[in-house]
Amino acid sequence: MMILAKLGLGVASTVVFASAYTFREGVIRVDVDEHRDGGSHVHFWVPAAAVPMTMHFVPKRHLSEAATHASEFMPLLQIVTAELSRYPDTTFVDVRDGDDHVRVSTVGAKLEIDVRNPEENVHLTVPLATVNDVAAQLAASAPGI
Amino acid sequence: MRQLSQGVSHCASLALAAAVLLSPAAFAQTAATSTAASSTSDRWLHVRVISTESKGETVRVNVPLEMAEKVLPAINKDRLHNGKVRFDDREMNGVDLKVLLDAVRTSKDGEYVTVQATDSDVRVAKQGGYMFVHVSEKRSYSEKNGKPSERSRVEVKIPMKVVDALFSAGKDELDVLAALRALSAHSGDTELVSVKSDENTVRVWLDSKNISD
Repeated sequence: MMILAKLGLGVASTVVFASAYTFREGVIRVDVDEHRDGGSHVHFWVPAAAVPMTMHFVPKRHLSEAATHASEFMPLLQIVTAELSRYPDTTFVDVRDGDDHVRVSTVGAKLEIDVRNPEENVHLTVPLATVNDVAAQLAASAPGI
Repeated sequence: MRQLSQGVSHCASLALAAAVLLSPAAFAQTAATSTAASSTSDRWLHVRVISTESKGETVRVNVPLEMAEKVLPAINKDRLHNGKVRFDDREMNGVDLKVLLDAVRTSKDGEYVTVQATDSDVRVAKQGGYMFVHVSEKRSYSEKNGKPSERSRVEVKIPMKVVDALFSAGKDELDVLAALRALSAHSGDTELVSVKSDENTVRVWLDSKNISD
């Protein structure tokens, strides 16, 4: 009985620890709502820590191909995300034109992009550290490095 | 053996609980520190465009100058390289900007250009370490009293140090990065550009707040 209890505690601890580790960097949230009839509604949450981990399993040649296309912008992206993380809870761009509204801001250590218009609403929240990690991995995967 | 395993499981549980409980506090502390750091010393460049048309378009951009200083050198595209913008001499219609600026810099404070025409007024002056440009465009006749009324007004007020920094690069280059650094070093709130016209109101200003209103 005691052994079973200990086993249970071990499993529970592992699950809690794994969850805490997975969610420590927050989640990537994407919400897309199309307002037209039959329009799609996409809502998903992904643990941010899973993205850099998943990238390790992407075949090298695919990663290298993506890195080649994006190599020009990766150092810029790394600098921008590193700098943005210094300014939590700040609105950088806010554009309103009638019913259209675009906002780019930071909420804590996350980048938040909101696009609202009569056709659709798009909401993206992504931890800046994740973008930085992905940019660094892509930069490192570029051919010649 | 049993005591040892109990001790290990207790320690592990305690460590896990501490890690889970303390991690949000640590994150909050980091965020709070960086907020304080960004609010005390940073200089912010704000741009606000308000359209007076029926839909009332509004654009608000807030950029920390320190961030702009770090990001700008990383953008190398077309004419922008290492924070400098190259321009073609032919685009200046034979006007040597460097010589013109040298003349303004070495001169005493005063009004250099004053043009008063029927359709516009232009004034360029230097005063108290600032360069002022004022352009007022007039309507041919006002509907009210028959006299010309103002159609648009442009006011530019730039610290001379910023103008100097902007033209500190090569002959055909504008050193935007140096100008940003000079702006960063400039103390006090400054309204750099103000445009008022029938269609739009534009404001570009500098202060230490991270919000535009």
